Amino acid sequence: MSIVEIKDLTFSFSRKEEPVINDFTFSMEKGEIVGILGQSGSGKSTLLRLISGLEMPVKGTIKIAATTVVSESVFIHPEERGVGMVFQDYALFPHMTVKDNILFGLSRLPRKDRKLRVDEMLELVQMEEFYKRYPHELSGGQQQRIALARALAPKPNVLLMDEPFSNLDADLKESIREELGVILKKANMTCIMVTHDRHDVEAICDYSITLGQSNVSNGLNRVKLKTIK
Amino acid sequence: MNVKLIKRNLKKEITGWWIISLVGAVVILLPILVIFSSIFQEPNENWLHIRQYLLTNYFENTIILVVLTGLFTAFLGVTLAWLIAAYDFPLKRFFRWGLLLPLSIPTFIAAYTYRTMLGYTGVVQTTLRNHFDYQLNPEWITVSGIGGAVFIFTLFLFPYVYMITRAFLESQSTSYIESARLLGRKPFAVFYKVVLPLSRPAIVGGSVLVIYEVLGDYGVTSYLGIHTISTAIFQTWFGMYDVNSAMKLAAWLMVIIVGIFFLERLLRQRRRYHLSNKSRPLVPVKLKGIAGMAAFMYCGVVFLLGFLIPFIQLIVWAKMTFHKVWDATFFTLLYQTVYVAVLSTLIILVLAVVVANVCRSHSSFSFILSKCVTLGYSIPGPIIAIGVLAIFISLDKWLAPMYFSMGLGEAPLILSLSLVMLIVGYCIRFMATGFNATEVGFEKVGTKYMEASRMLGMGLTKTFFKVDLPLIKGSLISGFILTFVEICKELPLSLLLRPFNFETLATKTYQYANDEQIHEASISSLLIILISILSVIIFQILGKKVKQ
Amino acid sequence: MNLSNLFKPLLAGAMLTIGLAGCGTNQPDTEGDKAASKPKTTENQEVNIYTARHYEVDDEIYKKFTEETGIKVNVVKGEAEELIERLKREGKSTQADLFVTVDGGVLANAKQNDILQPVTSDIIEKNVPENLRDVDNNWIGLATRARIIAYSKDRVTPEQLSTYEDLTSEKWNGKLLVRSSTSLYNQSLLSSFIEINGEEKAEQWAKGIVNNFARQPDGGDRDQAKAIAAGTGDVAIMNTYYVGLLANSEDPEEVKVAESIGVFFPNQETNGTHVNISGIGLTKHSKNQENAIKLIEYITDVEAQETLSANNYEFPVNPKASKPALLESWGDFKMQELNFDTLGEHNKKAIEIFNKTGWK
Repeated sequence: MSIVEIKDLTFSFSRKEEPVINDFTFSMEKGEIVGILGQSGSGKSTLLRLISGLEMPVKGTIKIAATTVVSESVFIHPEERGVGMVFQDYALFPHMTVKDNILFGLSRLPRKDRKLRVDEMLELVQMEEFYKRYPHELSGGQQQRIALARALAPKPNVLLMDEPFSNLDADLKESIREELGVILKKANMTCIMVTHDRHDVEAICDYSITLGQSNVSNGLNRVKLKTIK
Repeated sequence: MNVKLIKRNLKKEITGWWIISLVGAVVILLPILVIFSSIFQEPNENWLHIRQYLLTNYFENTIILVVLTGLFTAFLGVTLAWLIAAYDFPLKRFFRWGLLLPLSIPTFIAAYTYRTMLGYTGVVQTTLRNHFDYQLNPEWITVSGIGGAVFIFTLFLFPYVYMITRAFLESQSTSYIESARLLGRKPFAVFYKVVLPLSRPAIVGGSVLVIYEVLGDYGVTSYLGIHTISTAIFQTWFGMYDVNSAMKLAAWLMVIIVGIFFLERLLRQRRRYHLSNKSRPLVPVKLKGIAGMAAFMYCGVVFLLGFLIPFIQLIVWAKMTFHKVWDATFFTLLYQTVYVAVLSTLIILVLAVVVANVCRSHSSFSFILSKCVTLGYSIPGPIIAIGVLAIFISLDKWLAPMYFSMGLGEAPLILSLSLVMLIVGYCIRFMATGFNATEVGFEKVGTKYMEASRMLGMGLTKTFFKVDLPLIKGSLISGFILTFVEICKELPLSLLLRPFNFETLATKTYQYANDEQIHEASISSLLIILISILSVIIFQILGKKVKQ
Repeated sequence: MNLSNLFKPLLAGAMLTIGLAGCGTNQPDTEGDKAASKPKTTENQEVNIYTARHYEVDDEIYKKFTEETGIKVNVVKGEAEELIERLKREGKSTQADLFVTVDGGVLANAKQNDILQPVTSDIIEKNVPENLRDVDNNWIGLATRARIIAYSKDRVTPEQLSTYEDLTSEKWNGKLLVRSSTSLYNQSLLSSFIEINGEEKAEQWAKGIVNNFARQPDGGDRDQAKAIAAGTGDVAIMNTYYVGLLANSEDPEEVKVAESIGVFFPNQETNGTHVNISGIGLTKHSKNQENAIKLIEYITDVEAQETLSANNYEFPVNPKASKPALLESWGDFKMQELNFDTLGEHNKKAIEIFNKTGWK
């Protein structure tokens, strides 16, 4: 069963402009990690925002876990979609501690389970002793791990990651990338990751899609390239 | 687009927030549209009289006033902002905020004070006469006519230009100014070739604020006997008992304002610099010797004229009349002023936050919405007053059957005699102050935290209270203080829309001064000034706390 | 759609509105509003006044009235035009019993708007001479101020002065001071000339005055007196009330100004000096008529009249009341005789003439 199903998705920023994403169709299975490549301006981030419900497509449908989240007559608000997202600059709430950041998405759990889940998440990203810190008191790599823990905590159907490594130093990047792959597999998480770096894809993704001008113009968007794993 | 699609798209946008914003915008626009519609009404004979004898003169005076004040405030504001931002000289740190103090003195109070002080029995002429036996021709230094008004407006409104330009120069211009300096240009050339053109949006923005104030002024121009469109509105309304012609005048004034609005757009459009907001602060150059002294003198003279002298004069008069004027009713006045200002400010901020939150999605709808709710700032108080009055009276007529069934008598005026009307007036006029502060707050924070929160399963409303509100707290406080101070100083709306027997410090001051009892007006004037200064001090303290 | 999303902010908004409406009706306890919004059952014990006179001495007299009669006085203050507008709109549901204002033109306007009713009381008729009451007793005079000619004691002798009309003559060219035509006092003055001398003569007079201006109208009545002291002009048209204010100012310099000017009552040989009259009228739908009339009787009685005159430098309407020294020193004078109704009728014409002749 496909966990994410996208059909004929088209999006443009305004009616006058050429569509950024044109008749895009794609589906993925549970547990898969997919990389999305493409030059800047090719609509990679926009695709994530469409899946998460932060943008509205001109045309097309998206299904997540067999529920239609957007179609011609349906729109489900982002908070109802069960989608997790790690933002490019993490967007950790600066006025909350690490613990409160992770707790934030757990309001639907019974109170006693929340604490357990936070501990579980902190353990997963190996940040147990940092729970009292504020985001600005953490290094870039640490922040990234907390952002990941926060996004995973509510057990989303799918995790979206927007350039998760772009803010990290080169040598840090490699180790974190590996860790991330391990964590995602451990959690059996379905994940879509946007990146401009082919090495990211090679390191953790099952396969990748390339968005780009050429695809748009000749209507060959359904490119599905299996990369070497 | 088909219906299903529209429905779906609306579903994304329409939330409680959206609906409140729309209602707010309608409430704000309605009185303004009422005024505007009167332009198409059949003119009566009074209007013909006004057009034949007065209109040209009103237009001329208004335009002369606006142009001169605009030029002088821009000059004063920009030169001071440049000195403070780029140089170090004696007492500069004090002048940096001290030059904002003239804003705490409402212009109409400044006009009374200066006119009386420089008049025949004022301290200047009296001293010359009694101690130096020198009889100055009083016409030389009198504050009267258009010249007097320009003098008052310039001295007490320049801080708008100064404030905005200084903030711009201090935070955003560093790299340009430094590279100009490194390229070996002399200070004057740096100022003229780089600073001036770069800060044009800031200068225009500040000057437009000043112009709106001048156009909407009633206190100063009526006191100095200058016929402007704004004073003419009052005169036709109260002197000729002709509300229709007054509305027609108001509509014409709005035509001028819309013109200025587009002019500002035009001036800004092609010069939109995208300046990095993470710029280093400008390192000031130390001025030595005569140059330092000159800078000190310049700031000092402006500070003396724009704040200290009138302030001290008011204190002297207050001492003189204290035994005669002071009584317990001042506490009531103080209470009523603060009460209505706090209440209105809270409502403004709530609505501002809602609208600004909706406007974070940059659609053309949100652009129009934000322009609509902030329109009031550019519209003079008397015009808003007429519009609000018209709406409320028809509202009361419409509600009359309901009042009757509630046993309130036949066709009573409930809403239009209540404080609600004044509060609505304030909200329309000062929504922009609250809104701009809130918008700045939201802009600083960006949308990423909101989006992160929504991805974590929080709705728009919960997200606002848990994430956005704590993050924009600082901006909200500054919006609160600014709006509060503006309302405390406000005159024409308070004068026209207050319920009977409800007085604010500003109306009390006006009443005394209108009866030519300038000395007696000093205590209520001082109270207004003190409220303003105190608010700003509280803001500074709170601001520091928030930063920590 | 998620209903709770839609609902919560709406609810908050609704609560706000209700809160607001609440504030509207229970605003900070001001006497006037209580009077306006809550009809009391104990009717005999109060009287409600709408007044455009904002003088402390008025309040003092009301207070004394309450002390002596036990009748509570509720006051609503506002601009005259607003109050008339309010009385008109309130119609039968008004709580006001009395309307008080300065200027005959405004009083006539109130009468024309049919918001007043005739008062019948022997005491009042005894207290106030007929020429200081409305012809139908729709309002009763409270106090008067004369619009006189002030002159420089140094440069002008009273013998040079005679009438308002004389001020348009050649000898005062460049020496005459007067305030702007937006002032009600000037509007009523010109209205009275329209009534007495006809529109054409009135316009000529205004033109002549404009010709003789020492400077463009600037400031209020006090400023005209100061301009005489400063030597800008020699004569000024002004109101006795402001001469009183100057003479009793806290500022010694202002007292000096008052001492340097003389007061001349014009048109004594012809049709009399123009006066501004303050008046009190019984509203058409008054609910406490008896108390209201009692108050009019009280305020026109000798004692209240003397308090009024002593504190506010206005001439009493009751001929038996004594005047303060300053007013006494000016002596008695002949007043312009006219039906005050005409002031209201001519007000608009007066403004038009001012505009036409360029009297700023």
